[in-house]
Amino acid sequence: MAAVDYLLQETSVGYGLYQVVQQPDTIGNRLKEVQEATQDLARFGKMIKLVSFAPFQGAAQALENANDISEGIANDHLKALLEINLPKGGGGKRVVLGISDKNLASSIKAAFSSVDCETNDVVQDLLRGLRLWAPKLLKQLQDGDMDRAQLGLGHAYSRAKVKFSVQKNDNHIIQSIALLDTLDKDVNTFAMRVREWYSWHFPELVKIVNDNYLYARLILFIRDKNTLSNDRLHDLVAIVNDDAEIAKAIIDAAKVSMGQDISDMDMENICSFAGKVVSLADYRKSLHGYLVDKMSIVAPNLAQLIGEVVGARLISHAGSLTNLSKYPASTVQILGAEKALFRALKTKGNTPKYGLIYHSSFIGRAGAKNKGRISRFLANKCSIASRIDSFSDSPTTKFGEALRKQVEERLEFYANGTAPQKNQDAMKDAMDAVLADITVDADEDNEEVDPEMADIVKPKKSKDKKEKKKGKSKEKKEEKKEEKSDKKEKKGKKDKKDKKDKESKKRRRDDEEGDVSEKKKSKKEKKEKSKA
Amino acid sequence: MAFTPRGRGGARGGATPRGGSRGGARGGFSGGSRGGFGGGARGTPRGGGHGGARGGGRGRGTPRGGRGGAAGARGGAKVVVEPHRHAGVFVARSKEDMLVTKNLSPGESVYGEKRISVDTPSTDADGAPTKTEYRVWNPFRSKLAAGILGGLDDIFIQPGAKVLYLGAASGTSVSHVADIVGPTGNVYAVEFSHRSGRDLINMAKKRTNVIPIIEDARHPLKYRMLIGMVDAVFADVAQPDQARIVGLNCHLFLKDKGGVLVSVKANCIDSTAAPEAVFAREVQKMREERIKPLEQLTLEPFERDHCMVVGRYLRSQS
Repeated sequence: MAAVDYLLQETSVGYGLYQVVQQPDTIGNRLKEVQEATQDLARFGKMIKLVSFAPFQGAAQALENANDISEGIANDHLKALLEINLPKGGGGKRVVLGISDKNLASSIKAAFSSVDCETNDVVQDLLRGLRLWAPKLLKQLQDGDMDRAQLGLGHAYSRAKVKFSVQKNDNHIIQSIALLDTLDKDVNTFAMRVREWYSWHFPELVKIVNDNYLYARLILFIRDKNTLSNDRLHDLVAIVNDDAEIAKAIIDAAKVSMGQDISDMDMENICSFAGKVVSLADYRKSLHGYLVDKMSIVAPNLAQLIGEVVGARLISHAGSLTNLSKYPASTVQILGAEKALFRALKTKGNTPKYGLIYHSSFIGRAGAKNKGRISRFLANKCSIASRIDSFSDSPTTKFGEALRKQVEERLEFYANGTAPQKNQDAMKDAMDAVLADITVDADEDNEEVDPEMADIVKPKKSKDKKEKKKGKSKEKKEEKKEEKSDKKEKKGKKDKKDKKDKESKKRRRDDEEGDVSEKKKSKKEKKEKSKA
Repeated sequence: MAFTPRGRGGARGGATPRGGSRGGARGGFSGGSRGGFGGGARGTPRGGGHGGARGGGRGRGTPRGGRGGAAGARGGAKVVVEPHRHAGVFVARSKEDMLVTKNLSPGESVYGEKRISVDTPSTDADGAPTKTEYRVWNPFRSKLAAGILGGLDDIFIQPGAKVLYLGAASGTSVSHVADIVGPTGNVYAVEFSHRSGRDLINMAKKRTNVIPIIEDARHPLKYRMLIGMVDAVFADVAQPDQARIVGLNCHLFLKDKGGVLVSVKANCIDSTAAPEAVFAREVQKMREERIKPLEQLTLEPFERDHCMVVGRYLRSQS
């Protein structure tokens, strides 16, 4: 191991560069005596020598450097310090710089060809010593300077972090789905109260009109039931969705109503409350529209596959779309059923088959025996859709549509055995559709945009190739798995029932294990992609 | 002790016996001469001026009942504040004993907790008594408070100490830690969630010894610029890999032989295994991170299946 020549210290006040005068013990660096060397200022002070200290000029520069350091980027300020103070590597002589972060090491290496960076244990011990004695070693500093700088920088850094949130759009989805749930509950409670109240005056109306929203609007229209006569029939019909029969029934009921009469002031209050209910219900509608819009921007494929509301719930439960896309499909499957899951794990019982995704229409449409299977399948597709949404640059709904079709076909298959389209083909069709869209766009646009578009298309293609070569492609794997399960199912049909059950259980286990490993792989791929 | 009934005035004569006996006991504790002097100096203006005013003396506090609904223990309750075994922590003795810390920014609650204001007799010959405000520390909300009430031997968090607090959340417990370390100490509060971080930053604005750091504690290198060497690390991160997280932070920032306090929630690490087994495993993992465990304490009855592990970071072998 090469000896360490220099040490870089990053503090809140500036960068410090130290020369290692006396090489530390490298062999027994965890021995008590060696450790004590760094803890004794007199001894430690002899080991190192301050070469240069580059203080930050003001808070803005400090923050900029703090951000760069946390990302492992060599800031210009740091580069300047190293440039001036490190000896030039003439004649193949190399300088070893001890630093704490491997990421920073690679960016320093990239900037200075003659510098080697070292991050081993010995260096870490030295850097600990520097951290411990920093206020003493940096003689220009006054007492408390370091603390003040840390405080200021800590605030600035944290504020910037809070301000800049990656999941800006997700937040709105999470809030609006939460508000939607609250509104549903509240509108219902209020509507019940309105019905209760107005029923003192006109009890028959509840029986005729069941819908809360309609009921509240009718109150606003009718007000005093005694004023309701046939000449208001036309307007009444307009309110009850052009259903003349209902309108007629209402007028008839008003004539023979057994409700008590009500004073103007009481009626005024009922009406103002009913008005509130109506406006709240209207607001709920507009909020739902907003959510749908938002989902079509943030997670179009997921929304297309499973519906906006359920998709939004999934995102809300995971915390963000990015989080959701990082989950394995098995987690997505039982998202929202944590309580049941942990209870099952504790009691070694059966784990739940579905969580939030139960609210998608697919599971309700499957037969009782197939609910678990379709849930698993749907969770797989949701996971894929969320990853596409999270990591693709140009949002399309093509994949969502393809995935939705696949789930439909799978339902069909469970119901009457119609063989579904092969996964590979389905995905290829979707990809072709996306590509076709892009090329059409490119044709329409002028030629200047063309290369950019080509750029977008290219990496996807190359990635496809790579995946195919490796034979690790998600699509391929899944297809294989499906084929396997198809075969097994066919076999199972021939077998006796109990045997089939056993097998399906086993298969389920296999599949789930396969799922997890496969997801891990695809996650890695995605990560690589996102990094690139 | 003639002051006690006089100062209290006619208004609350009925409550004397208990308060009186308390007062007597307290007087012995804080030194009879000082207590007597403080009382005498104050007796004159108070006794005549406001007959209804509650007389305080020798550390027996008057809660600030008049200040908003939330503040103060119940109006009229008499509170005596005594120092706790751990420096910087105090115990308020009233109807029930409460753990309190000295408020670093008097007049304000951080999260709606109760405040107790106590007159301390001034040390000058003629000086008026100074008010000291304490904030009640709820052990059901703070695991550190639960640990202290559970009887931890050493909490390493003391006046003047520098503390790295991982998992600061909204800064409720952090504010008490900041109270303990006082203006000469520092609390580096690390929290990853942006939502809680917002509250944390707001809290830190009021307390200049708290340095908020919104960053993932898994990557201590990312915030290495913001932190100096610390005397103690407190971790309440509730993550399956929390021993590793604590280890990483200790290797970077904790002084040799510094203190480590880790709150372990068994459910967060393994929901299927028995809590005791999980605790044992965590302690073992901490050993591997060169943290020598000193103490393990269950946080019952405040938290279920939690424990607090206290250790000492030993960088050198054995």
